[in-house]
Amino acid sequence: MISRKKKLNGPGKMGFLFSLPAVIYMLIFVGYPTISNIILSLKNVNVFNFSRPEAQEFIGLSNYVELFTDANSVMSRAILNTLIFTVASIFFQFIIGFILAFLFSKKFPASAFFRGATMISWLLPVTVAGLLFKFIFASSGGIANQLLMQLHIIKTPVDWLLNGPTAMVAIVVANIWIGIPFNMMLLLTGLTTVPADIYESAKIDGANKLQTLFKITIPVIKPAIMSVLTLGFVYTFKVFDLVWVMTKGGPINATELASTYAYKLSFEQFEFSKGAASANILFLILFVVGMFYIKLINAEEEVM
Amino acid sequence: MKRERKENTISFIIGVVIFVILMFPLYWMIVTALKTQVEIFQVPTPLWPKNLTLEAFQSQFSESSATMKGFKNSFLIAFSSMIISTVLSIPAAYGLARFRFNSKKLLILFFLMMQMLPSTLILTPLYIMFSKVGLLNNYLAPILADATLGIPFSIIILRTYFLSIPKELDEAAAIDGCNPVTSFFKIMLPIAKPGVIVAAVFSFVYAWGDLIYGITFMTDPNMRPITSNIYNYVQQYQTLWNATMAFGLVAIFPIVLIFIFMQKYIVSGLTNGAVKA
Repeated sequence: MISRKKKLNGPGKMGFLFSLPAVIYMLIFVGYPTISNIILSLKNVNVFNFSRPEAQEFIGLSNYVELFTDANSVMSRAILNTLIFTVASIFFQFIIGFILAFLFSKKFPASAFFRGATMISWLLPVTVAGLLFKFIFASSGGIANQLLMQLHIIKTPVDWLLNGPTAMVAIVVANIWIGIPFNMMLLLTGLTTVPADIYESAKIDGANKLQTLFKITIPVIKPAIMSVLTLGFVYTFKVFDLVWVMTKGGPINATELASTYAYKLSFEQFEFSKGAASANILFLILFVVGMFYIKLINAEEEVM
Repeated sequence: MKRERKENTISFIIGVVIFVILMFPLYWMIVTALKTQVEIFQVPTPLWPKNLTLEAFQSQFSESSATMKGFKNSFLIAFSSMIISTVLSIPAAYGLARFRFNSKKLLILFFLMMQMLPSTLILTPLYIMFSKVGLLNNYLAPILADATLGIPFSIIILRTYFLSIPKELDEAAAIDGCNPVTSFFKIMLPIAKPGVIVAAVFSFVYAWGDLIYGITFMTDPNMRPITSNIYNYVQQYQTLWNATMAFGLVAIFPIVLIFIFMQKYIVSGLTNGAVKA
């Protein structure tokens, strides 16, 4: 007791008091719901006993078990889809973002303008971006089909959003468009930290461009690369709006993600406890990757 | 010299090509909003409107339309949420940047973690909580929920601004007789102003872009934010693309304005928030 009181005294106490309102707010509106979601997932709350707490009971881990064993459940499918969606999105976003970061790290006429303007896709409400791509990939009137046919890549129009695999391609393409600026800007910031004289000495040593890239640039900006990849994973893994607007998880669960499935369970089937359980599974995966990210930035610069 | 110039020209040309490709979806949105339905479904559809029409926009701007109602609702929700988020984040970031105390490391971790949580995790409990206290179909529900998106991000970026202020300023302020509270208002806050703007901008953008809280907590069509309204509009009018795109343009209008006037702040926010933490 005494030692605790002592520690909280002095100027340090002020720092704690300054942060207290935000901490309390987040505990009420995020901390409490998170714990209550865990409790909810261990109960059997659905539309029938939602308003009658006396009819709700603890059923242990049954919801979790059923999510993976029940024939009607698409939980495993949703996790697999989320993984495919995330890995495919990040792979292309990162490569395109990296190339753009390289290009825009050079000073050429209007480079700042081009770099700045491309940022807009990251800021737009995802709902609107989703609708835009829903239209772009529409079976009739969609510009994707028209362009691909004019380029003779496809012969007949493709029903992009009505077939499983092509629907996945469509949502990934839309997500790549949204995520490119994020990758580009973070990698660009990383590139500006590479000292120019390293490149000079590499040139003198006779290194070619590819050698310079793999032996110098990538190792030096590795912290930025790791940040982009882990943060990108977290942000992509929890995407909801985009898919909800474009496909709603369809056709026949082909683009069902962990987030859209959790939403459907809770607010379409009113299986609140099952929805909570599936959201917790999503949370657990994000938590592990998130901890990895935090460890990473902690090691990178002793921030704390 | 000559070689450099040639390289510049090549970079410029690549820059133009990338710009055109990345901006095409936005261009397509604008062009579609200006077309007639007939032109939209024409094969091949023209790449620019032959019969330019503002019809699709006119229907958006009538007083009773879902567009304008949604716009007002979104503005109220995003603005209030931004105020809550900024007012709570500034002192928290200051406290976590300029003081040493035991639980500091833990609190920073706490906010970093909060930034990564999926909305679906807290959605059902918040729904139950809000329904118990009668906040469903009340603007407070999305306002309170949206602020949880802005707060962690704001604290993390604002903290980097407060960290960058030299320690000597604290000492000078203390000698002049400022206590931590007065030096916060008189010295720290003015210096951290760019950071405050970034935090406010992002809190607004996050709240404006929210869909999941809006569709879950607000079932009254008159009270829904614009993102929920456009979502419902598309469910109803599946292929009315010119009107949908006009609706979308109205929905992104404030974001585009913010983007044009605040680009400098947005870029710094994006990079500071994610890399430095």
